[in-house]
Amino acid sequence: MVANPILYIALPLFTAFLVPLLAKLWKPLVRIVPGLVLAYLAIMSVVLMQQVSPEKPIIAMIAGWKAPWGINLVFTSFSGFIASLISILAFFIWLYSFGFKKVEFDDAQKYFILFMLLTAGSIGVVLTGDIFNMFVFIEITSLSAYALTAFYKGRDGAEAAFKFLLIGSFSSIMLLLGIAILYTYTGTLNMAHLALLMPQVPMHAKITSFLLFFVALGIEAEMFPLNGWAPDAYSQAPGPIAASFAGILAKAGIYALIRVSYTIFDLGDHGGFELLLVMGLITMVVSELVAMRQENLRRMLAYSSMGQMGLIMIAFGLGTKEGIYAGLFIMFNHAVIKSLLFLASAYLVYYTSRKKISDLDGFGKLLPLTSLLFGLGAFAIVGLPPFSGFWSKLSLLIATANSHMEFVLATVLAVSVIEIIYYFRVLGRLYFRKAHKEIKVRKPTWNSVVTMIVLALVIIAVGVHPDFITGLLHNAATDLADKADYIQKIIPDLFSQTLN
Amino acid sequence: MNSLIILLFILGGGALLSYFAFLSKHAFGQAVVWLVAIASPVYFFTQVAVGESFSFSLGGFELALGFNHYSWVFALLIMVLSPLSLIYSTGYMKSRLRLGTFYFSFIFSIFGMMGILMSRDLVSLFIFWEIMTWASYLLVIYRGKDVEHTGIKYMIFSAVGAYSMFMAIVILNREMHSFDIATVIQNFGNMNAADQWLTGILLLIGFAVKSAVMPLHVWAPGAYTNTPTSFTAVFSGGLSKMGVYGIGLVLLNLYSHSDFSQVGIYLAWLGAITAVMATFRAVFQNDAKKLLAYSSVAQLGYIVAGIGLGTELSVFAGIYLAILHGAFKGTLFMAVGAVERQAGTTDMTKISGLIKNMPWTFFAALVAIIALAGIPPVGGFVGKWMLYEAAINSEHMFLVILIFISSTAAFLYSFRFLFGLFLGQQEEETAHIKEAPAVMVVPMILLSLFLVLMGTFPGIIFKPIAAGMAELGFQGVPWHMSVLYNMWGDSVNLTYVSITFGTVFLLGLVYITLIARKGTKHKLSTKDIHTAGEIPKPEDNLNYSLDFYKPFERVLSPLLKHKLDVYYNEFGKGLEALFNFMRRIYTGNGQTYALYVVVFLVALILLSGRIFGI
Repeated sequence: MVANPILYIALPLFTAFLVPLLAKLWKPLVRIVPGLVLAYLAIMSVVLMQQVSPEKPIIAMIAGWKAPWGINLVFTSFSGFIASLISILAFFIWLYSFGFKKVEFDDAQKYFILFMLLTAGSIGVVLTGDIFNMFVFIEITSLSAYALTAFYKGRDGAEAAFKFLLIGSFSSIMLLLGIAILYTYTGTLNMAHLALLMPQVPMHAKITSFLLFFVALGIEAEMFPLNGWAPDAYSQAPGPIAASFAGILAKAGIYALIRVSYTIFDLGDHGGFELLLVMGLITMVVSELVAMRQENLRRMLAYSSMGQMGLIMIAFGLGTKEGIYAGLFIMFNHAVIKSLLFLASAYLVYYTSRKKISDLDGFGKLLPLTSLLFGLGAFAIVGLPPFSGFWSKLSLLIATANSHMEFVLATVLAVSVIEIIYYFRVLGRLYFRKAHKEIKVRKPTWNSVVTMIVLALVIIAVGVHPDFITGLLHNAATDLADKADYIQKIIPDLFSQTLN
Repeated sequence: MNSLIILLFILGGGALLSYFAFLSKHAFGQAVVWLVAIASPVYFFTQVAVGESFSFSLGGFELALGFNHYSWVFALLIMVLSPLSLIYSTGYMKSRLRLGTFYFSFIFSIFGMMGILMSRDLVSLFIFWEIMTWASYLLVIYRGKDVEHTGIKYMIFSAVGAYSMFMAIVILNREMHSFDIATVIQNFGNMNAADQWLTGILLLIGFAVKSAVMPLHVWAPGAYTNTPTSFTAVFSGGLSKMGVYGIGLVLLNLYSHSDFSQVGIYLAWLGAITAVMATFRAVFQNDAKKLLAYSSVAQLGYIVAGIGLGTELSVFAGIYLAILHGAFKGTLFMAVGAVERQAGTTDMTKISGLIKNMPWTFFAALVAIIALAGIPPVGGFVGKWMLYEAAINSEHMFLVILIFISSTAAFLYSFRFLFGLFLGQQEEETAHIKEAPAVMVVPMILLSLFLVLMGTFPGIIFKPIAAGMAELGFQGVPWHMSVLYNMWGDSVNLTYVSITFGTVFLLGLVYITLIARKGTKHKLSTKDIHTAGEIPKPEDNLNYSLDFYKPFERVLSPLLKHKLDVYYNEFGKGLEALFNFMRRIYTGNGQTYALYVVVFLVALILLSGRIFGI
């Protein structure tokens, strides 16, 4: 098969624009073709992940221009892992939403176009080796995310999308400013080249630019206090989109934040990592405490999601290889588990307009399988063995302890107790309350059942036998930790010149 | 294949299989439960032995399984108690709903307990610990009663305990570069004092939660009461002993070789205070199951006191009492469960005189109560003897007084329990009650016979305990099959004691059945009373169990007024206020959020000198 990183972006983008034309031919094609494309990308991810290793990244040049002059896509063990995660997850979210809006054809068409754009943009952010290109992809992702937030016509959706747009435009401006500052001093936009030239940039410009990046990407990565948009967007978007916000959008955001702090800037050891760690800690504590008091299920999951993002920032903020490994593990788990939770919750609150937790009473009997899968997700996300969440929590705690950060360790664990409380409260309602009278229940379709079961099986499989993915995670961590290697692999000539 | 793995496979696979079997057909499920209940102990006693080990690598961690002599003692208890309770369950849980979930959680928690005992490294210990915790949580909330309160409370305390353990484990790993328990024990003394103190205390908190030591006990009475009674037998009898097991490890293997060997004494104090407070609470309960729940907390207090004292005899007594408590509290909960099932309630003010209806249950309960109260010829006497002797020897006289008070007060609730449920006048309302089915009675009787055996020949359990003591640093503990020695040089041969007591008991039985039978023939009822001019209304509860110890309660009520629960609840309320305050950060107003972004950026730029150190 043709396996090239460029296809990750070209195929979904092309499909997105092709969908309206396909609709003229035969309406079901609107649903089928995106799935075929995503399936191809998912298989391609498996193929490419087998080829790639920390020593041998796959680099694709666009239009034959060599870096740093041309735009390149870099599929390394690290970026490739995230890109594969996103594309495989996107395929399953497509499978889940295959029958979405069966009756209203226009809505379905919009949905699939926007979903393909979201996927293409997110993978683009992860794979690109060019900072301006990253900005463009972030814009593509954000624009489709705004539109998807406002998908259900109504006041709430529009309001949520507007907030998202407002904060998102701050992000774009700051990102552009940050890029402009770097370009002024280095004259390049290639990430590897930027990293190489970074020592020449004056300190004040470097710090200003870094902080602009930090805030702009912090918005995308749901960092406190920049995450005001997230709860509204998560709760107003359609169910599968909420899952892709957690599994795809937020992953691209945190990837960008990490790439910028680890590879491009050299401020990590001079306070950059500490900043990330502290902000991660605050994000986690605030989000989990707020999640505790939510009455709306989707908002609760959204705050919990933000809490997990905080956990990821803590892991990467440790700045050690163990920390990176733990962070990647949490990213993986969060993508899989939170998607399962969002997908299952979409059916649990299907007919209730306010999506309240108190409306869930007795659903364990009404929707046994969906409730069971939701429960499994809840067990996994709070880190109970033998589910996958446990191993990521274990690796994070080991990394934290090894960095001699007892306070962070204690805080993470204390917050975990809170997490257990609010998730188990929902489970208590699902299983141990009598159902309200005359409640309408939406039975899950077969394709969404398959999706949720596959995600659940992944959670159990990794939980029982984590070695399924630890190898990939180790490679990815090794890859991200070695910055010089990244530069050397992409611009070997310039790198050796600088050395000499 | 390794026998340890097969044992875990029987339990873990049995748990899953029972869940799916109950989904298809009730009889299948029942068959699977029986199969597990028979296969696991048979396999355990015939194939598994100390010294077998199994190591493997998982997720980058080197994990190892294998019993040592110390954990073997507890494994014996679990593998006797749990299968009997499982068999008892098949009678007790008949025609209940969601049996699949029930048996899955039941067997899975046994799986967790056996896993804990065979873990040779801290990671697998923690994994099994968590599995045991959530499986037992599912059983605490199984009846759907009070899920928000009791269930969450159990989970919070368990989580706090488990996570403090978790923190200790990763810190130990940082210092030792290993999770291996033997390595940790060996190198513990080489760590700096602060880390020794911190990790030991954190581990102790983790284990003390499960063994319900004050002030971490508040979950226990509620959780024990809410669990289906057939699991309470394992919960109070076996699961709580995991905490005892861990406390023994920390105090005797880690702390005794460090500067913190005095910690044990404080823990012994906490245990003794727990025992006294819980005993008094047990005395005033009207519900038999709640009474046993408080009594469990009290008994665990003794056991912890014994292990905390840290002398050879006291640790021996502690472990012996732990095993014994598993057996008699298991029997008692089973008896209460039988009453609950047959009479529909465990409220002692509503039922009485069940001895004629349920003689076998009464017999089992009687033997277990004798064990609890520490009267020969049943094993409790031996344990109490040793604990008293150890406490007196330790020169903590006030501790001795506490232990004496609580064990004397234990007679009060023992008597009340026995009298309230089984003795006294029989009411017409309870005349129709029949003896529980054989699947429930036989496990009870077997356990009570085991108790008698332990009283007469305590040596059968002394032997493994003495071997286990060697792992804790007490080499060559002397023991004898049926003779007790004390520090004053006396010896008591328990065979004679048992024969004497047994003869007296038999003679009494003969006397009652043959000669004194007539005296009991006259039927009395509580309704049949002569009042001083005031005629009781039909709705008046005239059961003599009502306000059983009223004068005593009046004396003690100021002491019992303060419940620790209240403080925790206040603390929780305070936290909720904090959460509500936090929630207001998210105003829902887009402009505010935009302001946050700008303010945050400005703040970062202003602070950049600080952050980046220029």
